[in-house]
Amino acid sequence: MTDEAHHAPHPTTGQYVKIAILLAIVTAFEVALFYLDDAVDMGGWDGPLLIALSFFKFVVVIGWFMHLRFEKPVLTRFFAGGFLLALSLYGIVVGSFLVGLITR
Amino acid sequence: MAETVATADTHAADHESFGIDNRKLGMWLFLSSEFLFFGALITNYLVYGGDTFGATVVPREVYDIPFTSVSSFVLLMSSLTMVLAHHALTTGDQNGTRTWLLATAMLGSIFLGGQVFEFYEFINVQGMTLTTNPASSAFFMLTGFHGAHVAIGVIMLLSLFGMAKRQGGLSQQHGMNLELVGLYWHFVDIIWIVIFTVVYLLGAV
Repeated sequence: MTDEAHHAPHPTTGQYVKIAILLAIVTAFEVALFYLDDAVDMGGWDGPLLIALSFFKFVVVIGWFMHLRFEKPVLTRFFAGGFLLALSLYGIVVGSFLVGLITR
Repeated sequence: MAETVATADTHAADHESFGIDNRKLGMWLFLSSEFLFFGALITNYLVYGGDTFGATVVPREVYDIPFTSVSSFVLLMSSLTMVLAHHALTTGDQNGTRTWLLATAMLGSIFLGGQVFEFYEFINVQGMTLTTNPASSAFFMLTGFHGAHVAIGVIMLLSLFGMAKRQGGLSQQHGMNLELVGLYWHFVDIIWIVIFTVVYLLGAV
Protein backbone atom coordinates (compact mmCIF):
# COMPACT_ATOMS: atom_id res chain seq x y z
CA MET A 1 0.00 0.00 0.00
CA THR A 2 1.35 3.40 -0.91
CA ASP A 3 1.41 6.42 1.36
CA GLU A 4 -1.15 8.00 -0.97
CA ALA A 5 -3.55 5.12 -0.32
CA HIS A 6 -3.03 5.60 3.42
CA HIS A 7 -4.17 9.22 3.13
CA ALA A 8 -6.97 8.49 0.65
CA PRO A 9 -10.39 9.61 1.89
CA HIS A 10 -12.65 6.92 3.33
CA PRO A 11 -15.66 5.88 1.23
CA THR A 12 -18.91 7.83 1.53
CA THR A 13 -22.21 6.35 2.74
CA GLY A 14 -23.32 5.88 -0.87
CA GLN A 15 -20.11 4.03 -1.71
CA TYR A 16 -20.53 1.74 1.31
CA VAL A 17 -24.06 0.90 0.14
CA LYS A 18 -22.78 0.19 -3.40
CA ILE A 19 -20.11 -2.13 -1.97
CA ALA A 20 -22.77 -3.97 0.08
CA ILE A 21 -24.98 -4.35 -3.02
CA LEU A 22 -21.99 -5.76 -4.92
CA LEU A 23 -21.35 -8.26 -2.10
CA ALA A 24 -25.03 -9.28 -2.09
CA ILE A 25 -24.97 -9.80 -5.88
CA VAL A 26 -21.83 -11.95 -5.63
CA THR A 27 -23.49 -14.02 -2.87
CA ALA A 28 -26.58 -14.48 -5.04
CA PHE A 29 -24.34 -15.54 -7.94
CA GLU A 30 -22.61 -18.09 -5.67
CA VAL A 31 -25.95 -19.63 -4.69
CA ALA A 32 -27.06 -19.62 -8.34
CA LEU A 33 -23.82 -21.36 -9.27
CA PHE A 34 -24.50 -24.00 -6.63
CA TYR A 35 -27.90 -24.82 -8.18
CA LEU A 36 -26.61 -24.45 -11.73
CA ASP A 37 -24.17 -27.27 -11.03
CA ASP A 38 -27.13 -29.68 -10.72
CA ALA A 39 -28.54 -28.67 -14.11
CA VAL A 40 -25.40 -28.07 -16.16
CA ASP A 41 -22.12 -29.97 -16.24
CA MET A 42 -19.55 -27.34 -15.32
CA GLY A 43 -16.60 -29.65 -15.82
CA GLY A 44 -15.30 -29.21 -12.28
CA TRP A 45 -15.07 -25.40 -12.58
CA ASP A 46 -17.77 -24.72 -10.00
CA GLY A 47 -15.44 -25.38 -7.04
CA PRO A 48 -12.60 -23.04 -8.08
CA LEU A 49 -15.15 -20.40 -9.17
CA LEU A 50 -16.92 -20.52 -5.80
CA ILE A 51 -13.58 -20.21 -3.99
CA ALA A 52 -12.59 -17.25 -6.21
CA LEU A 53 -15.90 -15.46 -5.55
CA SER A 54 -15.59 -16.12 -1.83
CA PHE A 55 -12.03 -14.74 -1.84
CA PHE A 56 -13.25 -11.65 -3.69
CA LYS A 57 -15.87 -10.98 -0.98
CA PHE A 58 -13.25 -11.67 1.70
CA VAL A 59 -10.86 -9.08 0.21
CA VAL A 60 -13.59 -6.45 -0.33
CA VAL A 61 -14.80 -6.67 3.29
CA ILE A 62 -11.24 -6.46 4.66
CA GLY A 63 -10.19 -3.68 2.30
CA TRP A 64 -13.24 -1.40 2.46
CA PHE A 65 -15.36 -2.29 5.49
CA MET A 66 -12.36 -2.97 7.74
CA HIS A 67 -10.55 0.00 6.12
CA LEU A 68 -7.34 -1.99 5.72
CA ARG A 69 -6.56 -0.35 2.38
CA PHE A 70 -6.62 3.05 4.14
CA GLU A 71 -4.46 1.92 7.07
CA LYS A 72 -0.68 1.80 7.49
CA PRO A 73 0.93 -1.05 5.52
CA VAL A 74 2.24 -2.68 8.70
CA LEU A 75 -1.33 -3.72 9.61
CA THR A 76 -1.74 -5.42 6.23
CA ARG A 77 1.53 -7.29 6.84
CA PHE A 78 0.46 -8.46 10.30
CA PHE A 79 -3.00 -9.52 9.11
CA ALA A 80 -1.83 -11.16 5.89
CA GLY A 81 0.94 -12.87 7.92
CA GLY A 82 -1.61 -14.63 10.14
CA PHE A 83 -3.76 -15.54 7.14
CA LEU A 84 -0.85 -16.95 5.12
CA LEU A 85 0.50 -18.81 8.15
CA ALA A 86 -2.89 -20.46 8.70
CA LEU A 87 -3.29 -21.16 4.98
CA SER A 88 0.14 -22.83 4.71
CA LEU A 89 -0.15 -24.78 7.96
CA TYR A 90 -3.59 -26.17 7.24
CA GLY A 91 -2.80 -26.58 3.54
CA ILE A 92 -0.03 -28.96 4.59
CA VAL A 93 -2.40 -30.80 6.97
CA VAL A 94 -5.11 -31.26 4.30
CA GLY A 95 -2.43 -32.14 1.72
CA SER A 96 -0.95 -34.83 3.95
CA PHE A 97 -4.40 -36.35 4.49
CA LEU A 98 -5.02 -36.37 0.74
CA VAL A 99 -1.65 -38.04 0.12
CA GLY A 100 -2.55 -40.58 2.81
CA LEU A 101 -5.86 -41.31 1.06
CA ILE A 102 -4.20 -41.71 -2.34
CA THR A 103 -1.39 -43.99 -1.13
CA ARG A 104 -3.61 -46.05 1.19
CA MET B 1 3.99 25.81 25.50
CA ALA B 2 6.68 23.85 23.67
CA GLU B 3 7.10 21.72 26.77
CA THR B 4 3.37 21.01 26.89
CA VAL B 5 3.37 19.95 23.23
CA ALA B 6 6.41 17.74 23.80
CA THR B 7 4.74 16.10 26.81
CA ALA B 8 1.57 15.51 24.83
CA ASP B 9 3.57 13.96 21.98
CA THR B 10 5.48 11.71 24.40
CA HIS B 11 2.19 10.72 26.03
CA ALA B 12 0.64 9.88 22.66
CA ALA B 13 3.74 7.91 21.66
CA ASP B 14 3.37 5.84 24.86
CA HIS B 15 0.10 4.47 23.47
CA GLU B 16 1.34 3.84 19.97
CA SER B 17 3.52 1.30 18.19
CA PHE B 18 4.39 1.69 14.51
CA GLY B 19 2.42 4.95 14.65
CA ILE B 20 -0.79 3.00 15.32
CA ASP B 21 -2.86 3.05 18.50
CA ASN B 22 -1.83 0.03 20.59
CA ARG B 23 -5.45 -1.06 21.08
CA LYS B 24 -6.01 -1.10 17.35
CA LEU B 25 -2.74 -2.90 16.69
CA GLY B 26 -3.65 -5.42 19.39
CA MET B 27 -7.04 -6.04 17.80
CA TRP B 28 -5.51 -6.62 14.35
CA LEU B 29 -2.97 -9.04 15.87
CA PHE B 30 -5.75 -10.84 17.75
CA LEU B 31 -7.82 -11.15 14.57
CA SER B 32 -4.75 -12.39 12.72
CA SER B 33 -4.34 -15.14 15.34
CA GLU B 34 -8.03 -16.01 14.93
CA PHE B 35 -7.23 -17.23 11.41
CA LEU B 36 -5.28 -20.06 13.07
CA PHE B 37 -8.19 -20.83 15.41
CA PHE B 38 -10.84 -20.98 12.67
CA GLY B 39 -8.33 -22.52 10.24
CA ALA B 40 -8.03 -25.51 12.60
CA LEU B 41 -11.81 -25.93 12.74
CA ILE B 42 -12.27 -25.54 8.97
CA THR B 43 -9.44 -28.02 8.33
CA ASN B 44 -11.06 -30.41 10.80
CA TYR B 45 -14.27 -30.19 8.75
CA LEU B 46 -12.43 -30.63 5.44
CA VAL B 47 -10.73 -33.76 6.75
CA TYR B 48 -13.66 -35.33 8.61
CA GLY B 49 -16.64 -33.75 6.76
CA GLY B 50 -17.27 -36.96 4.82
CA ASP B 51 -16.42 -39.34 7.66
CA THR B 52 -19.75 -40.93 8.63
CA PHE B 53 -18.59 -44.03 10.54
CA GLY B 54 -21.56 -45.85 9.03
CA ALA B 55 -24.12 -43.35 10.32
CA THR B 56 -26.96 -42.63 7.93
CA VAL B 57 -27.05 -38.87 8.46
CA VAL B 58 -24.25 -36.66 7.05
CA PRO B 59 -24.07 -32.85 7.41
CA ARG B 60 -23.78 -32.15 3.68
CA GLU B 61 -27.01 -34.07 3.00
CA VAL B 62 -29.13 -32.11 5.48
CA TYR B 63 -28.09 -28.54 4.65
CA ASP B 64 -30.88 -26.12 3.81
CA ILE B 65 -29.02 -23.93 1.31
CA PRO B 66 -31.81 -21.35 0.70
CA PHE B 67 -32.18 -20.81 4.46
CA THR B 68 -28.42 -20.49 5.04
CA SER B 69 -28.14 -18.15 2.03
CA VAL B 70 -30.61 -15.78 3.68
CA SER B 71 -28.64 -16.01 6.95
CA SER B 72 -25.44 -15.20 5.04
CA PHE B 73 -27.12 -12.21 3.42
CA VAL B 74 -28.26 -10.97 6.85
CA LEU B 75 -24.73 -11.20 8.27
CA LEU B 76 -23.29 -9.50 5.19
CA MET B 77 -25.74 -6.62 5.57
CA SER B 78 -24.80 -6.33 9.25
CA SER B 79 -21.29 -5.46 8.07
CA LEU B 80 -22.83 -2.57 6.11
CA THR B 81 -24.77 -1.30 9.14
CA MET B 82 -21.60 -1.64 11.27
CA VAL B 83 -19.53 0.45 8.87
CA LEU B 84 -22.38 3.00 8.68
CA ALA B 85 -22.34 3.24 12.51
CA HIS B 86 -18.62 4.01 12.41
CA HIS B 87 -19.09 6.46 9.55
CA ALA B 88 -21.90 8.23 11.42
CA LEU B 89 -19.65 8.65 14.48
CA THR B 90 -16.81 10.11 12.40
CA THR B 91 -19.25 12.68 10.99
CA GLY B 92 -20.57 13.49 14.49
CA ASP B 93 -24.00 11.98 13.85
CA GLN B 94 -24.71 10.46 17.29
CA ASN B 95 -28.30 9.49 16.43
CA GLY B 96 -27.11 7.70 13.31
CA THR B 97 -24.43 5.90 15.34
CA ARG B 98 -27.00 4.59 17.82
CA THR B 99 -29.44 3.57 15.08
CA TRP B 100 -26.85 1.67 13.04
CA LEU B 101 -25.35 0.04 16.14
CA LEU B 102 -28.78 -1.25 17.13
CA ALA B 103 -29.45 -2.39 13.55
CA THR B 104 -26.17 -4.33 13.53
CA ALA B 105 -26.99 -5.99 16.85
CA MET B 106 -30.46 -6.89 15.56
CA LEU B 107 -29.12 -8.38 12.31
CA GLY B 108 -26.55 -10.34 14.34
CA SER B 109 -29.34 -11.61 16.58
CA ILE B 110 -31.40 -12.66 13.54
CA PHE B 111 -28.38 -14.60 12.24
CA LEU B 112 -28.00 -16.27 15.65
CA GLY B 113 -31.71 -17.11 15.73
CA GLY B 114 -31.32 -18.73 12.32
CA GLN B 115 -28.41 -20.79 13.58
CA VAL B 116 -30.35 -21.93 16.65
CA PHE B 117 -33.25 -22.95 14.34
CA GLU B 118 -30.84 -24.79 12.03
CA PHE B 119 -29.26 -26.66 14.95
CA TYR B 120 -32.72 -27.53 16.31
CA GLU B 121 -33.75 -28.94 12.91
CA PHE B 122 -30.55 -30.96 12.57
CA ILE B 123 -30.72 -32.39 16.09
CA ASN B 124 -34.47 -32.98 16.55
CA VAL B 125 -35.71 -33.55 13.00
CA GLN B 126 -32.71 -34.99 11.15
CA GLY B 127 -31.26 -36.78 14.19
CA MET B 128 -27.77 -35.38 13.67
CA THR B 129 -26.10 -34.50 16.97
CA LEU B 130 -22.60 -33.51 18.04
CA THR B 131 -21.70 -37.18 18.61
CA THR B 132 -23.43 -38.81 15.62
CA ASN B 133 -20.23 -39.09 13.61
CA PRO B 134 -16.90 -37.24 13.05
CA ALA B 135 -18.53 -35.21 10.25
CA SER B 136 -21.32 -33.90 12.47
CA SER B 137 -18.82 -33.16 15.31
CA ALA B 138 -16.67 -31.15 12.89
CA PHE B 139 -19.75 -29.28 11.60
CA PHE B 140 -21.14 -28.38 15.02
CA MET B 141 -17.71 -27.40 16.37
CA LEU B 142 -17.04 -25.03 13.46
CA THR B 143 -20.44 -23.38 13.15
CA GLY B 144 -20.97 -23.42 16.94
CA PHE B 145 -17.70 -21.58 17.64
CA HIS B 146 -18.53 -19.08 14.90
CA GLY B 147 -21.96 -18.57 16.47
CA ALA B 148 -20.28 -17.99 19.85
CA HIS B 149 -18.15 -15.28 18.24
CA VAL B 150 -21.27 -13.65 16.78
CA ALA B 151 -22.95 -13.79 20.22
CA ILE B 152 -19.93 -12.05 21.82
CA GLY B 153 -20.10 -9.45 19.04
CA VAL B 154 -23.80 -8.82 19.70
CA ILE B 155 -23.06 -8.34 23.43
CA MET B 156 -20.30 -5.83 22.61
CA LEU B 157 -22.59 -3.97 20.17
CA LEU B 158 -25.41 -3.77 22.72
CA SER B 159 -22.92 -2.56 25.37
CA LEU B 160 -21.80 0.23 23.04
CA PHE B 161 -25.42 1.08 22.23
CA GLY B 162 -26.23 1.20 25.96
CA MET B 163 -23.22 3.48 26.56
CA ALA B 164 -24.26 5.78 23.71
CA LYS B 165 -27.85 5.88 24.95
CA ARG B 166 -26.91 6.54 28.59
CA GLN B 167 -24.29 9.20 27.90
CA GLY B 168 -26.17 10.86 25.05
CA GLY B 169 -23.49 9.87 22.55
CA LEU B 170 -20.09 8.28 22.17
CA SER B 171 -16.97 10.31 23.03
CA GLN B 172 -13.75 10.22 21.03
CA GLN B 173 -12.39 7.57 23.43
CA HIS B 174 -15.45 5.41 22.86
CA GLY B 175 -14.99 6.03 19.15
CA MET B 176 -11.93 3.80 19.29
CA ASN B 177 -14.00 1.16 21.11
CA LEU B 178 -16.55 1.31 18.30
CA GLU B 179 -13.78 0.90 15.73
CA LEU B 180 -12.41 -2.14 17.58
CA VAL B 181 -15.85 -3.75 17.88
CA GLY B 182 -16.36 -2.99 14.18
CA LEU B 183 -13.12 -4.74 13.25
CA TYR B 184 -14.17 -7.78 15.29
CA TRP B 185 -17.62 -7.78 13.69
CA HIS B 186 -16.30 -7.59 10.13
CA PHE B 187 -13.87 -10.41 10.94
CA VAL B 188 -16.76 -12.60 12.09
CA ASP B 189 -18.40 -11.78 8.75
CA ILE B 190 -15.36 -12.75 6.65
CA ILE B 191 -15.05 -16.03 8.55
CA TRP B 192 -18.70 -16.75 7.68
CA ILE B 193 -17.97 -15.92 4.01
CA VAL B 194 -15.39 -18.75 4.08
CA ILE B 195 -17.63 -21.15 6.06
CA PHE B 196 -20.61 -20.55 3.75
CA THR B 197 -18.56 -21.41 0.66
CA VAL B 198 -16.33 -24.19 2.00
CA VAL B 199 -18.82 -25.96 4.27
CA TYR B 200 -22.25 -25.28 2.77
CA LEU B 201 -21.76 -24.71 -0.96
CA LEU B 202 -18.68 -26.84 -1.65
CA GLY B 203 -19.46 -29.37 1.07
CA ALA B 204 -22.77 -30.11 -0.58
CA VAL B 205 -21.52 -30.30 -4.18
